[in-house]
Amino acid sequence: MIRQSDGVSLSALIKPGNTIYIEGKPSKDEVLRLLTERMLPQVSGAISAKALADRVAEVEKLNQVLESGFYIPHAKFPELGSFYGVLGLIPQGFTDPATGHTVKAALLLLSPHKPAFFQRHLNMLSLLSQTFQPELIDKLASLNDPAAAAALLASR
Amino acid sequence: MVVNPRFKQVFVLSTAMLSFISFWKAASIVLCDFGSSAYYAGGIAMNAFGPAFPWFIMGVMLFSGLMLGVYTESCLLFVRGGVYVVVREAMGKVMAKLSVSALIFDYTLTGPISSVTAGLYLGGLLENVLPLMHINWHVPARAFAVVFALLVTGYFWRENIRGVEESADNNLKIISFVTLVAVVLIGWAGLTLYHRGFTLPPFHPVFTDKALGWTVHFPWLKAVGALGIIMAFGHSILALSGLETLAQVYREIEDPKFENLKKAVITIFVFSVLFTGLLTFMSSLIIPPDLVAGKYADNLLSGLALELDGPYWARLGLQTMVVISGALMLVGAVNTSFVGSNGVLNRVADDGILHDWFRHLHKKYGTTYRIINLVAITQILIILISRGDIFLLGEAYSFGVLWSLTFDTLSMIILRFKKRDEEQEWRFPFNVKSGGVYLPIGLVAVLLVLLAATGMNMLTKKVATIGGVLFTVTFFTIFHISEKMNEKKAQLYMPDEDADEKMNLRSESDIAKVVPELTGTRRILVPVRNPNNLVHLAAVLETVDDETTDIIVLSAKIAKGIQSGAETMSDEDREVFSAVVLLAEKYGKTVKPIFVFSNDPFFSMAQVAQAAGADEIVMGVSGSTGAEVQLERLAMAWGMLKKPGEPGKPVLARVVWEGRQMTFQLS
Repeated sequence: MIRQSDGVSLSALIKPGNTIYIEGKPSKDEVLRLLTERMLPQVSGAISAKALADRVAEVEKLNQVLESGFYIPHAKFPELGSFYGVLGLIPQGFTDPATGHTVKAALLLLSPHKPAFFQRHLNMLSLLSQTFQPELIDKLASLNDPAAAAALLASR
Repeated sequence: MVVNPRFKQVFVLSTAMLSFISFWKAASIVLCDFGSSAYYAGGIAMNAFGPAFPWFIMGVMLFSGLMLGVYTESCLLFVRGGVYVVVREAMGKVMAKLSVSALIFDYTLTGPISSVTAGLYLGGLLENVLPLMHINWHVPARAFAVVFALLVTGYFWRENIRGVEESADNNLKIISFVTLVAVVLIGWAGLTLYHRGFTLPPFHPVFTDKALGWTVHFPWLKAVGALGIIMAFGHSILALSGLETLAQVYREIEDPKFENLKKAVITIFVFSVLFTGLLTFMSSLIIPPDLVAGKYADNLLSGLALELDGPYWARLGLQTMVVISGALMLVGAVNTSFVGSNGVLNRVADDGILHDWFRHLHKKYGTTYRIINLVAITQILIILISRGDIFLLGEAYSFGVLWSLTFDTLSMIILRFKKRDEEQEWRFPFNVKSGGVYLPIGLVAVLLVLLAATGMNMLTKKVATIGGVLFTVTFFTIFHISEKMNEKKAQLYMPDEDADEKMNLRSESDIAKVVPELTGTRRILVPVRNPNNLVHLAAVLETVDDETTDIIVLSAKIAKGIQSGAETMSDEDREVFSAVVLLAEKYGKTVKPIFVFSNDPFFSMAQVAQAAGADEIVMGVSGSTGAEVQLERLAMAWGMLKKPGEPGKPVLARVVWEGRQMTFQLS
């Protein structure tokens, strides 16, 4: 069954409040932990901390680091009704042990686990990977300002 | 769609276009071999058992309809069939080796008998034409035929070494021209018979001592009644040679495979009955018997043209047309004998019963030149030994034909029981259901006819029996020894340095270089990985029209550090491609197989799909990740390769597995 090709936008997903800069050279696990911690308040009414951590750890095994150096850990929850995201920018980057790619931007994406929403979920993944190209990632990482980063993304 | 220049790591190692042919072309390929016997079968049969020959040639042509039925059923069982595969599946390797040895004898003799016949027809024409040009050269027919046969054999020897492929288009042109000549000949012969009236030839065969062979030592084997009919049938059955070509060409027939096979079979049957059967019959009604046995014994259809009513110049013109059509068809059959022998021997080599020494590839042309040399040298020796005596060649010829047909039919009967649970699209008719099994009464009746003719020919055709047995035993021994040597080699396995060339690989630095070869208005990308999980490819092949749609089959191999350029295909990769080719052949649809090295299969899928402007990507489900994760990873790769802000062409992404599918759009 072909689903409606729903439009998705980054401006609704990425706001200054859910954009963080991570200093130093963290490990991949640390980045994931920081993103999960920042995500929890947004979904705390629907998902428990443990469920979120377990599910993110599970899907992380599938490794979502792209050639462009953008990392999209993502999970789907039936309890959710819309997208939730936290963008982490790591100016010094970290090296993904599985692929060897240097990662300077990571976005934890949570989506509703509903068949009708899967098309939008795919559209969002496609849009994220299309948007976060190396040039933009470098620019975002150098801004060191969540509001400026969110504004730059919204302008695109 | 522009491919991001940062991601050029994917490079194409192999592209091979599988193309399929119409039933007309398939029928013409078979007829260039099978139909060519019209030029010599009548004369040879006349020489063996006298004026009754047209009845038996017509009988054999009608019997060919039954054999075409047997081959149809075997083709439906095995896309890449032929005697070897069918017999191996039914009776094991030993019998398969025996049957294929007999078949090689048939193929090997096809060359000499065809080229010598063409030489005799040309010689006969020159005898008539040269005096008209005031050139008083006497052309000794047989000497001329031998020289011509050697030249033709040498030509195709060279062509096959060079690897010039047989063109189905050429076969179709030849058969079209032959059909035109046949229509004129039949029409003109019909008018002649209408004016002259006719007497039907006698039905009782009268055998020469030579044609009775060893039966003269068995007084109880009288060449009369049913036994006489079987003997005469056996002497005429060489007209069946070439049917095996149907099994070889079936894999190339386009979709819808079965419908086109039926059409090809009906075309072959009608053509053969009219061309070989009817023209031979008309020859016997128009040409006086003494001329059939004498002047026109080795160029019967030339004799028919010359003995028609009408002015001499017109009859000579028709003879010229007959000779040109015959020469084209017979010369084509020489090529078929090379291609057929080479193909069959390569097939058995794939199965490990022919030593790799034979398969060594020519350094420049990449052909299996040792096999081609072996065939050519054997054919040249046969031509020289025959000294242009078509009757001697005809005497030897039917051994391989009969044995291979007998093995094939017997195997089909056995397979009816072995594969009793398998659904079959079509079965040879006359089956009686008993205890849940369809008893193949029709096939058994055909087998009995073949066994009777085979047994009788073993006694009547001395040259065929001695030559055939010697040849078969020799090849069987070669196969047996090869198999043992290959078994030892398998235990001390060493990689074959020629492995890549045998896959006909073509290396390209970038996928973009392959895109111009795609000509369809729609394009579907089908990624493959596991040879046992091609349900999605089958689903595409089943529903897509390859006339308008390019089916790109992509196999992506994970390779780290892919910039070296030294990667080669492994046996597992070849296995995937072999499975893809077999499936494409089964459906008769063209696919474009591409093999790439990549550090991410989804990345390569997206890159190839975007470069090719694909409308659809159809994946099989992965047992390890599941359909949703596959789609997610594809969506990410798809987005990453798009230029920011560029809308791009949307593509449908489908994941297909048994009875289910998920379809989404990537935009």
